Amino acid sequence: MENGKGKWGYIWWQWVTLILHLVAILLFTRGFLLTRTELPFYSHSSDLRQSPCLSPDSNSSSSWTKPSVNRIVIIVLDALRFDFLAPSTFFPESKAWMDKLQVLKNAASTHPSSARIFKAIADPPTTSLQRLKGLTTGGLPTFVDVGNSFGAPAIVEDNFLNQLVQNGKKVVMMGDDTWTQLFPHHFERSYPYPSFNVKDLHTVDNGCIDHLFPSLHEEDWDVLIAHFLGVDHAGHIFGVDSTPMIEKLEQYNKVLERVIEVLENQSGPGNLHENTLLVVMGDHGQTLNGDHGGGSSEEVETAIFAMSFKQPPSVVPPEFDTYSCQLDLDGKNVCISSMQQLDFAVTISALLGIPFPYGSIGQINPELYALGAGSQNLGASQEQSESDIWMQNYANAMCINSWQVKRYIDAYSASSAVGFSHDDVSRIASVYAQAEDQWSHSTKHLLIDRNNGSNTLVPVLERQINAYFNFLSTVAELARSKWTEFNLNLMGTGIGIMLISLIFQFLAIVRANKQHSLTSSSSRDSWNTSAVAFSIFLLGIRACSFLSNSYILEEGKVANFLLSTSGIVALRQSIIKDKLLMESVGFLLLSTFCRFVIEVGLSKQAATSAFMKGYTSWILNIVSGLPVWDYAAEVVPMLVLVLLAFWLYKATSGSFSVWPWKYVILGTILSYMLIIVQWITDSSNRFGVALLPESIGRNIIPRIVYAIALGQFIFMAFHQLFKDNYLDCKTSLVAKTTAMLSTWSSIVILLSGKQGPMIAFASISGGYCIMRLNNIEEDNKEHQRSFSVGPFPVMQWSLFATCLFFCSGHWCAFDGLRYGAAFIGFEEFMLVRQAILLTIDTFGFSIILPVFGLPLLIATKYQTNIGKHFLFTQLSQPNDHSMFYVDVFNIWVHNSSYDDFYDIMCNNSKAALDGKCALLYLNVSHCSISAYLRLVQYFNAYNLFLQVWGLFAPKFVFDVFGLILTDVLICFASIYYFVQGKDDPSLKSSGR
Amino acid sequence: MSSSMDRRKSREKTTAKDASTIETPPPPQISASEAFIVNLVCVFGLAISFSIANKGYSFDLVSDPSHTLFFIWIIELPIVILLFSRYRQNPQQCTYLRAVGRGMLGVPVGALLNSLGAIALGAPVTFQYLPKTVNWSLMMSLLTIVPPSCVLGSSWADWRRIFAQTKASGSVEYLICLPAHGAVIGGWFGAWPMPLDWERPWQEWPISVSYGAIAGYLVGVVASCGFVLAHGRSQHVKRD
Repeated sequence: MENGKGKWGYIWWQWVTLILHLVAILLFTRGFLLTRTELPFYSHSSDLRQSPCLSPDSNSSSSWTKPSVNRIVIIVLDALRFDFLAPSTFFPESKAWMDKLQVLKNAASTHPSSARIFKAIADPPTTSLQRLKGLTTGGLPTFVDVGNSFGAPAIVEDNFLNQLVQNGKKVVMMGDDTWTQLFPHHFERSYPYPSFNVKDLHTVDNGCIDHLFPSLHEEDWDVLIAHFLGVDHAGHIFGVDSTPMIEKLEQYNKVLERVIEVLENQSGPGNLHENTLLVVMGDHGQTLNGDHGGGSSEEVETAIFAMSFKQPPSVVPPEFDTYSCQLDLDGKNVCISSMQQLDFAVTISALLGIPFPYGSIGQINPELYALGAGSQNLGASQEQSESDIWMQNYANAMCINSWQVKRYIDAYSASSAVGFSHDDVSRIASVYAQAEDQWSHSTKHLLIDRNNGSNTLVPVLERQINAYFNFLSTVAELARSKWTEFNLNLMGTGIGIMLISLIFQFLAIVRANKQHSLTSSSSRDSWNTSAVAFSIFLLGIRACSFLSNSYILEEGKVANFLLSTSGIVALRQSIIKDKLLMESVGFLLLSTFCRFVIEVGLSKQAATSAFMKGYTSWILNIVSGLPVWDYAAEVVPMLVLVLLAFWLYKATSGSFSVWPWKYVILGTILSYMLIIVQWITDSSNRFGVALLPESIGRNIIPRIVYAIALGQFIFMAFHQLFKDNYLDCKTSLVAKTTAMLSTWSSIVILLSGKQGPMIAFASISGGYCIMRLNNIEEDNKEHQRSFSVGPFPVMQWSLFATCLFFCSGHWCAFDGLRYGAAFIGFEEFMLVRQAILLTIDTFGFSIILPVFGLPLLIATKYQTNIGKHFLFTQLSQPNDHSMFYVDVFNIWVHNSSYDDFYDIMCNNSKAALDGKCALLYLNVSHCSISAYLRLVQYFNAYNLFLQVWGLFAPKFVFDVFGLILTDVLICFASIYYFVQGKDDPSLKSSGR
Repeated sequence: MSSSMDRRKSREKTTAKDASTIETPPPPQISASEAFIVNLVCVFGLAISFSIANKGYSFDLVSDPSHTLFFIWIIELPIVILLFSRYRQNPQQCTYLRAVGRGMLGVPVGALLNSLGAIALGAPVTFQYLPKTVNWSLMMSLLTIVPPSCVLGSSWADWRRIFAQTKASGSVEYLICLPAHGAVIGGWFGAWPMPLDWERPWQEWPISVSYGAIAGYLVGVVASCGFVLAHGRSQHVKRD
């Protein structure tokens, strides 16, 4: 029908879909993927000369600010809620877990000038790793920090630990091993303890305590970090209102009492802790259930307690205080200030006198900074009060701080692809220019010329500091909006367009079905309808499974579970029909086999990513002990590859030995042989025998394989221009598909390494079974043939492809990418080339081969009938084929975008949960969404280090990438396979 | 959901076929009250085994799955075999003892089939799970395969009709078909909470699956009672 329209009449759907998807993804990604570029710049102590500010010491440029404390003890209590530390009188109701850290509260009330409690506001995501990163760098870590060394979580950005090490200070760490992951080379000594076993409340804490007290008596450190995990784990397991939690808090109270005692005893002049600052802090809060990760007030509100052991204590009354005081239960006055966690890194750096971290956007907190004030007496003119001197110092520190933040913002805007908008940058620049102007014209001179009366100085300084405050808070606000808040409008538009594309695809399928039912009345028998319903059911389940992070983590197993279920249903169907039993049993066995391979892959993943330990597969245990295995592992892939090559050879000599395709396939066989040669040289090298020079094996052969494949592609593309009329459409279709698949397969197998042939073998057998089972109900209706491919085989095809993705050792995380594959055949790095190779390796078995293999599903429709219904085969117009490709392709896209859509949906809600809970609760009037959010939160009940952000974002990136790749490939495939649609009149007439 | 779908589908499909293959002896019939009693006894067996495990040895499915499953199947074994052997097909040719014998034979065969299915769907195969898997599959065998093997014996056509096409004719076949399907589908759904990170003890293999299977079995039992009742009524109407 409609021959005049040509092939474009049938394939424009795909292009429109592609464009719709691209637009939707672009919009959604802009709103959802909060990216921040990590700048590889570091602050140096000599940088200060570039600033307009004063050096603390004109003769030495070793520090930015005058060091006011010598040593800092940082005790991190993981998941320390604010109300663990603050007196219960600050809250409307007294709860069982409050007032347990008595010693800190007493210190704050008896020494108000040297000990202080802060309410510290963290920024989401409130997971330990992200928070530690934020605390040390002074930035706002997002979940996609571009430039992040994928896989290894080590912090590459500038941070205060790095500055400490650069400036010759020594750091000692004990407790949570996340620190050693983040800072592998920074510690003088470290005593890490494994953090992922949530059920273990005591190992980390006891290890901390064992090492903390001896270390307090030693001189070999400047900063000591002790990270206790017990409260976090107790929260995850038992919740906040539980006996283990209270016991933990009481234990900490004792520990902290001893710590303060030790520090106080040594705080005399000339003693070890003469000028030591104790900081007890939480990295984030937790909800009453012990959850954290999101942005609710319980999760972001944590506490910082800081105490200076300076003798005599500093008596500076800070002018910029934000505290509120109240009587506690004992009738003592306790004051609590408030600060942002963002400000921690820069304040600590200022206290220690080290350069501020390059990427820090915090401001020096005046109250915390004031705790070190005692030692800041410059010995200047005696008529100035201590508070004035402190204020001068602080103003200068704020000057340095603002200059450093401005420098970072400028560098970020210049180097980042998605920097700040132009308006924002110019607004910041004007605020800074104002403050800067004031500094250079008046304040600086006043500070240099200290002999002026303090009565003129103080108001000027106050104005100056306020100007800097203004600047820094503008920057922080902008950075928060850029890095921690989602753009819900963009996300919503993206989802809307995704929905439109879904409807569009659905209409296209309906239209295609309608058109094809003109030529052959499709008989929708009961199996068909139930198969449709069943596949929609399985698809729906799979889509829903993306709503929970647990299922995403186990996606391979879930896909395999569904695949096996569909296999069981197919087996049942074939028992009913009493035919194709071998195929369905074989398919079931194959999915069982996939299941074991996926489990081995998962255990590999666990070994690298460390949060799914404890799954040691028995296969690996049995197998690794035997020496035979080594040889088998070398030989078996080669044998399978030879088998594949033999198969292809038989195919060429068999049904379609026509010249163009034959040579394409012979080329593939040659590639296979070359791959085998490469493997033989490889393994012989390993066993000590050099058959070929290593360079040939490693580089030349892969390049030849790539060249052959490229040649085959060009050949096929050229061949598209010429028609071959001497093939009936079915054979031509099979030949084309086989040629295309074989061309891809050589590259994919080469990149996948030794497992390649096995997986190729599995995919061929799986595909064969699906194709055969596709025909299961054909012979019932011999008079009316249905060409349409129902959704059931397409769904099986798609599930099987997903399983192959996991079977080939991939998973949806950046450390699941096999970077080694990108360098097969090439030693030097070139972004585009390596990216293409990596894409082929990652999606080769799961997207590329299945998409190009889809026409086989249609081709086999004819195969079964070719004997009995030769006439019908001849009668089938190529246009019908075209129809069915459209059909199948659309269903395929439909499937994948369906999944993707749900994924985006869930990402959206997840994102909203994490970042903008409060705003969403305000804005969204739909009860359903907030109910859904609560559901998601409930599902999240126990996530600890399994970071939601770290899990969903890579999954989103993988799926989006896969979707675009699928779309593009389908577009190309449709061009490739549709070409003969033009010459159908001749075929039709010859057939008849 | 899918079971009802399959049932509808196969009923439509096989109406045409039945006309040609009618020469099999009429399926055994029992009255609705008898069917009700049979179901009640089976469910009672389940309840007894739970209460023995709970009261007598103070453990349940969560704390000691493998022993609880052992109790279930060891108590259900005589009940199911002795009960369903009474309703064997062709009671003239097949003695009661023979039906009991093939029921006994059905126990390991059914266990093997069930465990293979579970492994295909992802049941763990490590050594520590071996007793649990064995006991679970023996229980599943008693809920699914053993009753038909007592009743049907080795008649492949009947097996295919009941299990592949879900086409039960006669009250006894309802009694063996629906609970078996219910148990399998319930077990399938019972596997879904397993990957969730709630860290509850019942998420372990095979606890949630067993709960699902037993729940599905109970639903199937209730449904079969309903079907037998409806079937009896329609028979009654026909006779009139």
